[in-house]
Amino acid sequence: MLGEIFAQLSETLTRLGEKPIAQLGLGGLTIRFDYMTIIMSWVVMILLVCVALLLRRGLRQDVEDRPSRVQAALDALLDLLRGQLTSSFSSERLARELFPFISTLFLFVLLSNWLSVVPYLESPTRDLNVTFSLALLVFAMSHILAFRAKGARGFFHGFLEPYPFMLPLNIVGEISKPLSHAFRLFGNVFAGTILVTVVMAKFAPVVVPVALNAFYGLFMGAIQAFVFAILAVAYINVAVES
Amino acid sequence: MLQEASTAVAGITGADIAVAAKYIAAGLCMGIGAIGPAIGEGIAAAHALDGMARQPEMQGALLRTMVLGQAITESTGIYSLLVAIVLLFVV
Repeated sequence: MLGEIFAQLSETLTRLGEKPIAQLGLGGLTIRFDYMTIIMSWVVMILLVCVALLLRRGLRQDVEDRPSRVQAALDALLDLLRGQLTSSFSSERLARELFPFISTLFLFVLLSNWLSVVPYLESPTRDLNVTFSLALLVFAMSHILAFRAKGARGFFHGFLEPYPFMLPLNIVGEISKPLSHAFRLFGNVFAGTILVTVVMAKFAPVVVPVALNAFYGLFMGAIQAFVFAILAVAYINVAVES
Repeated sequence: MLQEASTAVAGITGADIAVAAKYIAAGLCMGIGAIGPAIGEGIAAAHALDGMARQPEMQGALLRTMVLGQAITESTGIYSLLVAIVLLFVV
Protein backbone atom coordinates (compact mmCIF):
# COMPACT_ATOMS: atom_id res chain seq x y z
CA MET A 1 0.00 0.00 0.00
CA LEU A 2 2.61 2.50 1.13
CA GLY A 3 5.06 1.32 -1.50
CA GLU A 4 2.39 1.72 -4.14
CA ILE A 5 1.75 5.31 -3.06
CA PHE A 6 5.46 6.06 -3.11
CA ALA A 7 5.83 4.51 -6.55
CA GLN A 8 2.94 6.59 -7.86
CA LEU A 9 4.27 9.69 -6.16
CA SER A 10 7.73 9.30 -7.66
CA GLU A 11 6.08 8.60 -11.01
CA THR A 12 4.13 11.85 -10.76
CA LEU A 13 7.08 13.86 -9.56
CA THR A 14 9.04 12.56 -12.49
CA ARG A 15 6.39 13.72 -14.93
CA LEU A 16 5.96 17.03 -13.14
CA GLY A 17 9.50 18.14 -13.78
CA GLU A 18 9.73 16.49 -17.21
CA LYS A 19 12.94 14.86 -16.14
CA PRO A 20 14.76 12.33 -18.27
CA ILE A 21 14.85 8.94 -16.58
CA ALA A 22 17.22 6.11 -17.40
CA GLN A 23 16.16 2.56 -16.69
CA LEU A 24 18.46 -0.34 -16.10
CA GLY A 25 17.14 -3.89 -16.00
CA LEU A 26 18.95 -6.31 -13.73
CA GLY A 27 17.27 -9.70 -13.93
CA GLY A 28 13.71 -8.66 -13.18
CA LEU A 29 14.82 -5.78 -10.98
CA THR A 30 14.55 -2.42 -12.66
CA ILE A 31 16.74 0.39 -11.41
CA ARG A 32 15.75 3.88 -12.42
CA PHE A 33 18.23 6.70 -12.61
CA ASP A 34 17.22 10.31 -12.57
CA TYR A 35 19.81 12.12 -14.69
CA MET A 36 18.98 15.54 -13.30
CA THR A 37 19.31 14.54 -9.67
CA ILE A 38 22.58 12.71 -10.22
CA ILE A 39 24.09 15.54 -12.25
CA MET A 40 22.96 18.15 -9.72
CA SER A 41 24.33 16.12 -6.81
CA TRP A 42 27.67 15.97 -8.58
CA VAL A 43 27.50 19.71 -9.22
CA VAL A 44 27.02 20.27 -5.49
CA MET A 45 29.88 17.93 -4.63
CA ILE A 46 32.24 19.55 -7.14
CA LEU A 47 31.31 23.01 -5.88
CA LEU A 48 31.98 21.95 -2.28
CA VAL A 49 35.37 20.46 -3.16
CA CYS A 50 36.35 23.50 -5.24
CA VAL A 51 35.39 25.92 -2.47
CA ALA A 52 37.28 23.79 0.04
CA LEU A 53 40.42 23.78 -2.12
CA LEU A 54 40.08 27.52 -2.68
CA LEU A 55 39.72 28.18 1.03
CA ARG A 56 42.67 25.95 1.85
CA ARG A 57 44.94 28.00 -0.38
CA GLY A 58 44.10 31.08 1.65
CA LEU A 59 45.20 29.54 4.94
CA ARG A 60 48.41 30.78 6.57
CA GLN A 61 50.62 28.65 8.72
CA ASP A 62 52.18 31.38 10.86
CA VAL A 63 49.89 32.80 13.50
CA GLU A 64 51.86 36.03 13.83
CA ASP A 65 50.53 37.55 10.62
CA ARG A 66 47.26 39.34 10.36
CA PRO A 67 44.67 36.75 9.23
CA SER A 68 43.64 37.09 5.62
CA ARG A 69 40.04 37.60 4.54
CA VAL A 70 39.68 33.97 3.53
CA GLN A 71 40.95 32.83 6.88
CA ALA A 72 38.56 35.14 8.71
CA ALA A 73 35.64 33.82 6.67
CA LEU A 74 36.66 30.24 7.34
CA ASP A 75 37.02 30.94 11.05
CA ALA A 76 33.55 32.47 11.12
CA LEU A 77 32.09 29.45 9.31
CA LEU A 78 33.80 26.97 11.62
CA ASP A 79 32.73 28.96 14.68
CA LEU A 80 29.15 28.90 13.44
CA LEU A 81 29.19 25.17 12.78
CA ARG A 82 30.92 24.32 16.03
CA GLY A 83 28.90 26.69 18.16
CA GLN A 84 25.45 26.12 16.72
CA LEU A 85 25.49 22.51 15.56
CA THR A 86 27.79 20.23 17.50
CA SER A 87 27.66 22.07 20.83
CA SER A 88 24.37 20.32 21.59
CA PHE A 89 26.02 16.90 21.70
CA SER A 90 26.01 15.30 25.11
CA SER A 91 29.72 14.50 25.26
CA GLU A 92 32.79 16.36 24.07
CA ARG A 93 34.11 13.20 22.42
CA LEU A 94 30.97 12.70 20.36
CA ALA A 95 31.01 16.34 19.26
CA ARG A 96 34.63 16.07 18.15
CA GLU A 97 34.02 12.79 16.33
CA LEU A 98 30.88 13.84 14.50
CA PHE A 99 31.81 17.43 13.68
CA PRO A 100 32.99 16.57 10.11
CA PHE A 101 29.92 14.41 9.45
CA ILE A 102 27.37 16.95 10.64
CA SER A 103 29.17 19.85 8.94
CA THR A 104 29.33 17.99 5.65
CA LEU A 105 25.64 17.15 5.90
CA PHE A 106 24.80 20.79 6.60
CA LEU A 107 26.97 22.18 3.80
CA PHE A 108 25.68 19.64 1.27
CA VAL A 109 22.03 20.31 2.05
CA LEU A 110 22.64 24.08 2.17
CA LEU A 111 24.31 24.16 -1.23
CA SER A 112 21.69 21.79 -2.67
CA ASN A 113 18.89 24.08 -1.55
CA TRP A 114 20.65 27.17 -2.86
CA LEU A 115 21.32 25.59 -6.22
CA SER A 116 17.74 26.07 -7.44
CA VAL A 117 18.24 29.85 -7.41
CA VAL A 118 20.52 29.56 -10.43
CA PRO A 119 18.51 29.21 -13.65
CA TYR A 120 18.64 25.79 -15.35
CA LEU A 121 19.89 24.17 -12.16
CA GLU A 122 17.70 22.19 -9.78
CA SER A 123 17.99 21.33 -6.13
CA PRO A 124 18.90 17.67 -5.72
CA THR A 125 16.92 17.84 -2.46
CA ARG A 126 13.67 18.25 -4.37
CA ASP A 127 14.00 14.54 -5.11
CA LEU A 128 12.65 12.35 -2.32
CA ASN A 129 15.36 9.75 -2.98
CA VAL A 130 18.15 12.17 -2.08
CA THR A 131 16.59 13.32 1.18
CA PHE A 132 15.72 9.75 2.04
CA SER A 133 19.27 8.54 1.54
CA LEU A 134 20.57 11.39 3.70
CA ALA A 135 18.02 10.55 6.42
CA LEU A 136 18.90 6.85 6.26
CA LEU A 137 22.57 7.80 6.59
CA VAL A 138 21.76 9.63 9.83
CA PHE A 139 19.56 6.71 10.96
CA ALA A 140 22.33 4.15 10.40
CA MET A 141 24.89 6.45 12.02
CA SER A 142 22.77 6.93 15.14
CA HIS A 143 22.19 3.20 15.61
CA ILE A 144 25.79 2.23 14.96
CA LEU A 145 26.95 4.81 17.49
CA ALA A 146 24.30 3.69 19.99
CA PHE A 147 25.41 0.07 19.53
CA ARG A 148 29.02 1.08 20.11
CA ALA A 149 28.20 3.20 23.15
CA LYS A 150 25.82 0.81 24.91
CA GLY A 151 26.89 -2.64 23.74
CA ALA A 152 24.61 -5.32 22.31
CA ARG A 153 22.69 -5.92 25.52
CA GLY A 154 22.09 -2.29 26.30
CA PHE A 155 21.20 -1.54 22.70
CA PHE A 156 18.46 -4.16 22.45
CA HIS A 157 17.32 -3.53 25.99
CA GLY A 158 16.70 0.08 25.01
CA PHE A 159 13.78 -1.07 22.86
CA LEU A 160 12.10 -2.62 25.93
CA GLU A 161 12.13 0.65 27.88
CA PRO A 162 10.15 1.64 29.90
CA TYR A 163 8.03 -1.55 29.70
CA PRO A 164 8.46 -4.63 27.48
CA PHE A 165 5.01 -4.25 25.93
CA MET A 166 6.12 -0.89 24.51
CA LEU A 167 8.36 -2.73 22.02
CA PRO A 168 6.16 -2.19 18.92
CA LEU A 169 5.71 1.47 19.79
CA ASN A 170 9.46 1.94 20.16
CA ILE A 171 10.12 0.25 16.82
CA VAL A 172 7.51 2.39 15.05
CA GLY A 173 9.00 5.45 16.70
CA GLU A 174 12.47 4.57 15.42
CA ILE A 175 11.16 3.99 11.89
CA SER A 176 9.21 7.24 11.83
CA LYS A 177 12.33 9.28 12.61
CA PRO A 178 14.04 8.94 9.20
CA LEU A 179 10.62 9.16 7.51
CA SER A 180 9.79 12.54 9.02
CA HIS A 181 13.40 13.68 8.65
CA ALA A 182 13.34 13.00 4.91
CA PHE A 183 9.81 14.26 4.27
CA ARG A 184 10.44 17.53 6.09
CA LEU A 185 13.33 18.55 3.85
CA PHE A 186 11.69 17.21 0.70
CA GLY A 187 8.33 18.81 1.46
CA ASN A 188 9.79 22.24 2.11
CA VAL A 189 12.04 22.28 -0.93
CA PHE A 190 9.41 20.76 -3.22
CA ALA A 191 6.68 23.14 -2.05
CA GLY A 192 8.99 26.08 -2.77
CA THR A 193 9.80 24.68 -6.20
CA ILE A 194 6.12 24.18 -7.07
CA LEU A 195 5.22 27.68 -5.91
CA VAL A 196 8.03 29.37 -7.85
CA THR A 197 7.27 27.31 -10.96
CA VAL A 198 3.54 28.01 -10.86
CA VAL A 199 3.98 31.74 -10.25
CA MET A 200 6.61 31.95 -12.98
CA ALA A 201 4.47 30.08 -15.51
CA LYS A 202 1.02 31.46 -14.75
CA PHE A 203 1.07 34.83 -12.97
CA ALA A 204 4.16 37.00 -13.01
CA PRO A 205 7.17 35.82 -14.96
CA VAL A 206 9.32 38.92 -14.39
CA VAL A 207 9.95 40.43 -10.94
CA VAL A 208 7.99 38.32 -8.47
CA PRO A 209 9.95 35.08 -9.00
CA VAL A 210 13.13 36.87 -7.85
CA ALA A 211 11.59 37.68 -4.49
CA LEU A 212 10.09 34.21 -4.23
CA ASN A 213 13.42 32.63 -5.08
CA ALA A 214 15.13 34.77 -2.48
CA PHE A 215 12.65 33.65 0.16
CA TYR A 216 12.17 30.00 -0.74
CA GLY A 217 15.59 29.33 -2.23
CA LEU A 218 17.94 31.27 0.01
CA PHE A 219 16.13 31.89 3.29
CA MET A 220 14.09 28.70 3.61
CA GLY A 221 16.97 26.71 2.14
CA ALA A 222 19.33 27.91 4.86
CA ILE A 223 16.74 27.34 7.62
CA GLN A 224 15.94 23.85 6.37
CA ALA A 225 19.60 22.90 6.05
CA PHE A 226 20.15 24.07 9.62
CA VAL A 227 17.09 22.17 10.80
CA PHE A 228 18.21 19.02 8.97
CA ALA A 229 21.64 19.12 10.58
CA ILE A 230 20.36 19.96 14.05
CA LEU A 231 17.76 17.18 13.87
CA ALA A 232 20.52 14.76 12.90
CA VAL A 233 22.41 15.91 16.00
CA ALA A 234 19.29 15.44 18.13
CA TYR A 235 18.54 11.95 16.79
CA ILE A 236 22.12 10.76 17.29
CA ASN A 237 22.18 12.32 20.74
CA VAL A 238 18.95 10.63 21.83
CA ALA A 239 20.01 7.25 20.43
CA VAL A 240 23.39 7.33 22.17
CA GLU A 241 22.18 8.75 25.47
CA SER A 242 18.90 7.03 26.33
CA MET B 1 -32.92 28.33 -20.91
CA LEU B 2 -34.42 25.62 -18.79
CA GLN B 3 -33.33 23.08 -21.33
CA GLU B 4 -29.79 24.47 -21.31
CA ALA B 5 -29.63 24.16 -17.55
CA SER B 6 -30.95 20.65 -17.62
CA THR B 7 -28.40 19.55 -20.23
CA ALA B 8 -25.66 21.22 -18.20
CA VAL B 9 -26.72 19.26 -15.14
CA ALA B 10 -26.96 16.10 -17.18
CA GLY B 11 -23.43 16.73 -18.48
CA ILE B 12 -21.92 16.38 -15.03
CA THR B 13 -20.62 12.87 -14.63
CA GLY B 14 -19.25 11.02 -11.65
CA ALA B 15 -15.71 11.71 -12.81
CA ASP B 16 -16.32 15.46 -12.68
CA ILE B 17 -17.60 15.20 -9.13
CA ALA B 18 -14.55 13.14 -8.20
CA VAL B 19 -12.22 15.80 -9.65
CA ALA B 20 -14.06 18.57 -7.81
CA ALA B 21 -13.95 16.59 -4.58
CA LYS B 22 -10.22 16.05 -5.09
CA TYR B 23 -9.50 19.78 -5.32
CA ILE B 24 -11.80 20.61 -2.40
CA ALA B 25 -10.14 17.90 -0.32
CA ALA B 26 -6.66 19.17 -1.16
CA GLY B 27 -7.64 22.72 -0.21
CA LEU B 28 -9.25 21.64 3.05
CA CYS B 29 -6.30 19.38 3.85
CA MET B 30 -3.78 22.18 3.46
CA GLY B 31 -5.91 24.86 5.07
CA ILE B 32 -6.91 22.93 8.17
CA GLY B 33 -3.57 21.18 8.39
CA ALA B 34 -1.69 24.47 8.48
CA ILE B 35 -3.61 25.85 11.48
CA GLY B 36 -1.99 23.62 14.10
CA PRO B 37 1.66 24.09 13.13
CA ALA B 38 1.14 27.83 12.67
CA ILE B 39 -0.26 28.29 16.18
CA GLY B 40 2.36 25.98 17.65
CA GLU B 41 5.27 27.72 15.96
CA GLY B 42 3.92 31.10 16.99
CA ILE B 43 3.72 30.00 20.62
CA ALA B 44 7.26 28.61 20.45
CA ALA B 45 8.61 31.84 18.95
CA ALA B 46 6.74 33.98 21.49
CA HIS B 47 8.11 32.10 24.46
CA ALA B 48 11.61 32.00 23.00
CA LEU B 49 11.39 35.78 22.56
CA ASP B 50 10.27 36.11 26.20
CA GLY B 51 13.29 34.15 27.27
CA MET B 52 15.64 36.17 25.06
CA ALA B 53 14.30 39.46 26.42
CA ARG B 54 14.84 38.24 29.96
CA GLN B 55 18.27 36.74 29.35
CA PRO B 56 19.91 38.10 26.21
CA GLU B 57 23.07 36.09 26.88
CA MET B 58 21.09 32.87 26.34
CA GLN B 59 20.12 33.90 22.81
CA GLY B 60 22.17 31.30 20.96
CA ALA B 61 20.89 28.30 22.89
CA LEU B 62 17.32 29.59 22.84
CA LEU B 63 17.40 30.17 19.10
CA ARG B 64 18.72 26.68 18.47
CA THR B 65 16.13 25.01 20.68
CA MET B 66 13.36 27.14 19.20
CA VAL B 67 14.26 26.21 15.63
CA LEU B 68 14.48 22.54 16.60
CA GLY B 69 11.08 22.63 18.29
CA GLN B 70 9.52 24.49 15.40
CA ALA B 71 10.93 21.98 12.94
CA ILE B 72 9.34 19.12 14.86
CA THR B 73 6.07 21.04 15.18
CA GLU B 74 6.14 21.70 11.49
CA SER B 75 6.16 18.04 10.49
CA THR B 76 2.36 17.76 10.81
CA GLY B 77 2.04 20.64 8.38
CA ILE B 78 4.47 18.94 6.03
CA TYR B 79 2.44 15.73 6.23
CA SER B 80 -0.73 17.58 5.25
CA LEU B 81 1.21 19.19 2.40
CA LEU B 82 2.27 15.76 1.19
CA VAL B 83 -1.32 14.50 1.42
CA ALA B 84 -2.44 17.53 -0.57
CA ILE B 85 0.23 16.84 -3.21
CA VAL B 86 -0.86 13.20 -3.39
CA LEU B 87 -4.49 14.29 -3.76
CA LEU B 88 -3.68 16.80 -6.48
CA PHE B 89 -1.21 14.84 -8.61
CA VAL B 90 -1.59 11.16 -7.82
CA VAL B 91 -5.17 10.21 -6.91
